[in-house]
This record gives sequence, structure tokens and C-alpha cells, in this order.
Amino acid sequence: MSGHESLKDQVAAFALGSLPDDEHRFFLEHLRQCAECRAEVQALAAVTGLLGLSAPDAEPPAGLRDRVLARVGGARPVLAGRAPRSPAWLATAAAIAVAAVSTIWAAIATGRADRAERQLGTASSRLAELESTTAALVGRQVHMVSLAAPGQRPALRVIWNHDRNTFLVIAASLPAAPAGRTYQLWAIAAGRSPVSMGTFKPNADGTGTAVLPVSEAVTALGFIDQCGLTLEPEGGSPQPTETPRLIGTWSHLD
Amino acid sequence: MDKPTTTNPVDRGLLERIAAGDERALGELYDRYGRTVYSLALAILREPADAEEAVIDTFNQVWQSAASYDASRGVVAAWLCTIARSRALDMARARGRRARALERAASLDALAGFEPSAVSDPGLDLGLGELRQLITRSLAALPEAQRQVIEMAYFGGLTQSEIAERLAEPLGTIKTRTRTALEKLRGLLESQRSEAAS
Repeated sequence: MSGHESLKDQVAAFALGSLPDDEHRFFLEHLRQCAECRAEVQALAAVTGLLGLSAPDAEPPAGLRDRVLARVGGARPVLAGRAPRSPAWLATAAAIAVAAVSTIWAAIATGRADRAERQLGTASSRLAELESTTAALVGRQVHMVSLAAPGQRPALRVIWNHDRNTFLVIAASLPAAPAGRTYQLWAIAAGRSPVSMGTFKPNADGTGTAVLPVSEAVTALGFIDQCGLTLEPEGGSPQPTETPRLIGTWSHLD
Repeated sequence: MDKPTTTNPVDRGLLERIAAGDERALGELYDRYGRTVYSLALAILREPADAEEAVIDTFNQVWQSAASYDASRGVVAAWLCTIARSRALDMARARGRRARALERAASLDALAGFEPSAVSDPGLDLGLGELRQLITRSLAALPEAQRQVIEMAYFGGLTQSEIAERLAEPLGTIKTRTRTALEKLRGLLESQRSEAAS
């Protein structure tokens, strides 16, 4: 019982969100099994939830309301309407199509029918990939996260299409995964354990795309603050086994 | 056991409309809570421009996740504060300004009494005003050292070990003090609430 008594101190720190990450995870595991601590956390969370109201009253600047609404008003299809900006990462997706088409032309031009046929097969699957890529980009509710090392250009972007319930992963410059390892993306929500968004491997040149379905576990988080990337054993892990190599915060794509 | 708060049906209705994609409802929610969210973000970040960004992020998150709001887990004000705090602390960390967030926690501590502002905002409904009074009075009734650890954790985003380090006290002491403080705060909130109700 004394062991459990010491956990009571953790309850308070947990309700305040002031446990270090490792202890937070450990305690979360405990909460799954302990109804007593769960009830305690809920009771204290009703208190900590109100602490924010004790901040000194401050007048928000004029115009903030408009900016708040303008931000959500940007939730429009990214490929519709006025010509969208053409960010570099979108070129990665477009390059897939260009490469597919140009290799076929090259094969036809040199009269290599067998090679052309083979490459046509590859091209079809690449075009199918592009099609799902494009589909993943179109939607009313689209969010994006860029994952970059400090001071570097983003190595990876993930686009979350709520209408289609998919994550589109676009790698721009990601080192190849070592043998027996795979990249895994994590949905990170404050106060919760990370939830896997799926695994993928970039091409040898560090680029690549993948469309991952949004799992129920991710949806159950309600909202996601951040997205993290780790290297995991083949097949992925239930929980990350390392600190994220790259991390980014979700934002609206408009 | 009763929670020390009740859920406002107006708020619930607004969140339902927001979940259905009604931007006007988001505007109305801002009218009710924009000031609260901004005040909290400013208390953590100190820079008005940063606080504004945190407010925009917060309402954007509300826009995305209104459907996930669970009334049984607390009032809308608390839910908004949780989101806003998380965004603001993330920003403070990302910009390496945790040290300043900390100073803020310390200076908040110096605001003896935590009296709610004398100017009442017409945008705030009575329920919210009462909640603010409830929490500020209850915090003010805590012994100084207990209030300090709660504020360092909440506004400064510090872990228990970081608080122990800064106050040069044993970790076990800080953990126990935090727990005692929160439990006392809960008791104070409940007794003040029943006083207000009677």
C-alpha cells in the first residue's frame, strides 16, 4: 500500500501535467489498471482545469477575433480556386508523374517495346500512386505538418485529409532506413501517450510518398498537437522506442 | 461526487455548431472566451504578439476538435484553458523562452491575493465570472509555498524535478507539497461553491 501511497503524489503532478515524459508514460500505464488513481486524477483535473482562469485579466488586441476567424476560413480545397502556390514539396509528388512519363517516352523512342511495356507497368502503379496523392490533397479539411531538424529545411511533410481520413506522407530528404528498421510516425497529443500513425520507408534518394489510413486510435485522440518521427524495428512498435528524430506542429493548410 | 463546475448549455450548443462547421459559432465562442484564452496565453508567454498567435492556434484547434469535447470531463472554459496552456507552453519551449515563462510564474506569485479584475467584461457571462472568482479566491487562500509550486507547474510548465531544483528543495517534498496543495484547492473550491449556492 505504501507503494501506492507514493503514487498518490504522482496523481497530483500528473493532473498538473508536470511529470517528466518517462514518468508520465509510466503513470499513464498505471492509470489504465487502477480505478482509484483514475478517479483521483479526474477529481483533480476538474481543479487544474480551472487554474488558467486565475491568469491576470488582459484585454485582447482589436482585430484578434478577425484573425482567429480568418485562420479557420482558410479551410478550403488546396487545389481548387485560384492557382495555389507551388511549394517545393509538391514538386516531389509531381516529379513522380514526370519521371514515369519520361521513362516511357525514352523507351518508346529507342524502340525497346519490351522495356516500354515493363516501364508502363511501373508507370501505371506510379500514376495510381499519384492519383491517391492528389486525392489526399483535395479536401475541405486539410492539415499539414512539416518535420525538420532545427535550422534545416523540412525533411518530411504529412498532410492530413479529414474528408478522406488519410495521412499523405511526402519525404523530401530523409536518410534511408537501416536494414531491419523502418520509419514510424506518431500522433502526439498533450497529456496522452503517442499513437502510431503508421510506418513507411523512403526511396534510396530520400524522397517518397505514402498514403496511410487514419486509424481509430488516432481519431480517438480528438486532436493532435504534434507529429513525431522515430526509427523502429521492422513492422513498427506499439510505443516509440526512441526520442523523436524529427518533430513538427500541425497547422491548417491554406 | 459533484464536480466544482457545471456545464453551460449555451457553450455546449456552440460547440455542437462548431463541430458542424458553423464559423459564426466559433466567433461567438471567441466573444465568450477570447479574453480568457488571451489572458492565459499572455500570462505564460508575456509577449502580446506570441499570445495572439497562441489564441489563434487555440481556436483553430477548437475548430478542428469541437466534436471531441466531452462535457462530462469539465466545463468548456477548462477545456479551452487546457488547449491554450498546451499551445502556449509549446511555443515557449520552441522559442527557448522557458526561462521567461518561469519569470512569469515567479511574478504571478508576487501578485498577492490574485484579486479578479475590477473591470467586468460584458463578454463574460456570469458563470465564467463566478468561476474566475472561485479559483482566484481559492488560490489566494493557499499557503504561499503551496501556491508557488502550483503556479510554477501550471504557468511555468516546469516538471516536479525542475521545481525542486529551482527551489533547492528535495523532490519528494515538492511532490507532496503539490499534492497537498491541489487537494486543499479542491476542498476550497467545493466549500466556496456550496457557500455560493446556499
